[in-house]
Amino acid sequence: MTSEPEPGSQEAAPTDIDALMRAVADGDRDAFADLYDAVASRVYGLVRRVLRDSGLAEEVAQEALVEVWRTAARFDPSRGSAAGWIFTIAHRRAVDRVRAEQATVDRERRAATANVPCDDLIEEVTARLEQQAVRRCLRTLTQLQRESILLAYYGGLTYREVADRLGTPLPTVKTRMRDGLIRLRDCLRVSWG
Amino acid sequence: MSDIHTLAGAYALNAIDDMDRARFDRHLAECPACAAEVAELTETVAALAEATAETPPVGLRSAVLDRIDRTPQLRPETRRTSGRRPLPRRRWLAAAAAVVALGGAGAVGYVIADQSRPDAGTRADTEARRIAAVVGAPDARMRTTATDGGRVSVVESPSLDEAVAVLTDLPAPGTGHAYQLWVIRDRTPQSVGVLATGRTDATELVSGVRGAQAFGVSREPSGGSTTPTLPLVAQLPLG
Repeated sequence: MTSEPEPGSQEAAPTDIDALMRAVADGDRDAFADLYDAVASRVYGLVRRVLRDSGLAEEVAQEALVEVWRTAARFDPSRGSAAGWIFTIAHRRAVDRVRAEQATVDRERRAATANVPCDDLIEEVTARLEQQAVRRCLRTLTQLQRESILLAYYGGLTYREVADRLGTPLPTVKTRMRDGLIRLRDCLRVSWG
Repeated sequence: MSDIHTLAGAYALNAIDDMDRARFDRHLAECPACAAEVAELTETVAALAEATAETPPVGLRSAVLDRIDRTPQLRPETRRTSGRRPLPRRRWLAAAAAVVALGGAGAVGYVIADQSRPDAGTRADTEARRIAAVVGAPDARMRTTATDGGRVSVVESPSLDEAVAVLTDLPAPGTGHAYQLWVIRDRTPQSVGVLATGRTDATELVSGVRGAQAFGVSREPSGGSTTPTLPLVAQLPLG
């Protein structure tokens, strides 16, 4: 963690990413190289956060980015931003890998394998949020909403695992994830709108 | 609002297992409002990717650009629907089921992987690759049992710790009932998936089979049960 980059320093505005994505969908390799430069730090960082292993993260980030190229024509801009689509692909790849690895150890040990203390995880990612709006909006959530969302997303946990970890009933965690995200959405909408 | 709808948040966060995902995918296909909510929440979740940005290893850029030079792109889908729709997955899995049923283990793995390209979505693609890997694994082993006019087969790869279960032409489970899949370890059944109500054919990837003694199928009320209703509809040894 000694040589952390400045997250966000290479980020392109969302609209640029959308435009690049359209060119990539037409098979434009130069546009893909630009798209890589615009999103790679977030794709790699997210995957590494979930997998907690640099070597594995490099492999999975590569798979995710190649998948972006391969399936670019399937991206539907009416359903959301290109950046959102790309990060969803990356996150799912990482989570799939975590769960495949976990499937090879005893099921009983599953909860124990994701053993990052949740307070540390939440504190760290909150501290690193460059986007002031996201950080501020996360503060408007209840503690349980925030913990449920951040543990699931950055920890790659299922809501069942989150419920176990937080010692909270399953239906409560499910509901808090949803209403927490709705509150976050509404807050971000005001901030960016 | 149905109870399953509360899964929208967990779904957008990828915080659900394959069984819940399949359940929710079916729900999304019938609920445009839910699909819209999931799209918005997915967008919200993506904002969280800002927090973990980190300079990637130097080799990643050239490795990715190298690979895209060798990777053909998929054509756009003719229907502008999403990969979340269950239809393409089902269609794909039907093809896989046919291949597994006909060929069993062996070189057919390649055929499966190849067929998945034209119309499978992201998720189905990942699953397709894993199914193909199991079926094509050198140590893959298939067991089959007949049951009331239908058939249940399991292709298992101990080295991959995964299995593919293929259910073919099972009798209709009856109104409000569904088939549920189980892995039995130390005499304890553990649910590995519930089919849609009334569904009689399926191909399902089952992870974590190492050390398990048996695979079972039971008939349950829709949505599944926490322990299987006996007698089992079918049971096959594992390991």
